[in-house]
Formats: sequence, structure tokens, C-alpha cells
Amino acid sequence: MAFTCSIEVKNGVATLTLAGELDAASAGDFRAKIEEAAAQNPRALVLMLERLDYMASAGLRALVFAKQKMGADVDIFVVAAQDSINETLELTGFQNSVISLPAYDAAVIERAAASA
Amino acid sequence: METLVLPAVLDSLDAIARFVIDAAGAAGLSRKATYHLRLAVDEVATNIITHGYEEAGDSGDIAISAALSGDALTITLEDSAVPFDPRSLAAPPQLNEPLEERPLGGLGVFLALKNVDGFDYARAGGKNRNTFIMRRQSVEAAG
Repeated sequence: MAFTCSIEVKNGVATLTLAGELDAASAGDFRAKIEEAAAQNPRALVLMLERLDYMASAGLRALVFAKQKMGADVDIFVVAAQDSINETLELTGFQNSVISLPAYDAAVIERAAASA
Repeated sequence: METLVLPAVLDSLDAIARFVIDAAGAAGLSRKATYHLRLAVDEVATNIITHGYEEAGDSGDIAISAALSGDALTITLEDSAVPFDPRSLAAPPQLNEPLEERPLGGLGVFLALKNVDGFDYARAGGKNRNTFIMRRQSVEAAG
């Protein structure tokens, strides 16, 4: 199924909006967008996942890639992830490395960007 | 038992997923169980494609089939790549390491094995056979 990832970088915050299904075939697209975002040296990375219906381990690897590209100080926010994706993050311990939000919270995100 | 044979390339993952989802629908699996089964098969199929064939500089097919019994749906993946038993990636991943220090090997297999009710691997006749089993809930239990 189609995977789309749009990117917006504003005020030091890179927001990637994902939709569709993220597997090994589509992970390359996601990584390319992560690199594009990283090139602008954001101080926080926000992943909008409300319309992401599926995520395989390739998606988890891309999160590691994002940390490596952007630096350990850059917080990664996972926003509005569907239940099954949250379950995968918990099962693999990845939920310890990202900040999960049920909805976009500008105050929290901007605070993280300011302290990065 | 229906069987679908596909080239072992990443572009086939979509067709593999559709096959699993259709079989899960026929088996009456819940949405969550369908997701789990799809994920498990996807992870092992991805390994077959990338590690089994690609990295060995080889190419070939993956055959996927489904069998329904009264209490379970069984999905089988078969390939002719190098022998590989997913269960041999024994150690669970380091779940508490900081993200950038996580070793990534075995993550897909870990997810696969954790998401199905039963898994089996066999090597015979020059082929790897990976078997995934999901129990079908009885109508009473689903309530």
C-alpha cells in the first residue's frame, strides 16, 4: 500500500507526517525525508502518525537512523500513533527513546526544541 | 491450500501482505490478530529477501500458502535461499539501551516470533520453510 511522508521545518522543529504503510520497501522514502530534515539542523523531530496504518521493524530502524543523523540531544516526538504501532514500540522498548503524545502539543514540543 | 509464488524482491512485500490479510479475513481473525500475523510474515519475508537472497548475490522466489483448520490459520513461507532459521537469533534485543546504541540485528525476527501463537522452521529439499500459526477465536471467546 502507498506510503507518503511530507516534511515541514519551522522554528527549529522538523515535522514529518506519515501515512499508509511503512515496511522495508517504503523505509527508504522515510529515511530520505529524515536526511532532508536533518540537513536543516532541527532541535526537535515530530512524527505525525495518525494516518500511519502499519509499521514494521524497518520503521524502528529509521528511528535509530533519525537519532544518529540529528544527534542524541534532539527529542523525537511520536504523535497520535495507532494502537498497534504503540504496541510495537512498547514490545521492542523503543517507547523509552521517543516521547509519545496523543495529539500535537505545541508547548511541549517548543520547550523541547528550546532546550536542545 | 492456496499458494502464491512471487519474486523475492521488496516490491513483493505488498502482495504478501494482501495475501495474509485476505487469509486472515477468511479465518475470521480480529483486526489486531490480522495486524500481528501480517507483521510476523512481513518481517520474515523481508529477511528472506534481503539476507537470504540479496546479500548472497542471489535471486529467487518466495512461495506463500495458507491453510485453515477449525482452530487455526497457518501461513507458510517457502524459499530456496541460504539455510536460515529465524529462531537462531536467540537473544532478545537490548531493550533498554539508548536509541542510537541499539544493535539492530534480530529486531525483525524478535517482532515476528512475539506476534504469532506458533512458529516453526524446517529445512528440507534445499528449501527453508517458515510456518506461522494464529489461533482462531471461537465465537463465544470473542465476546
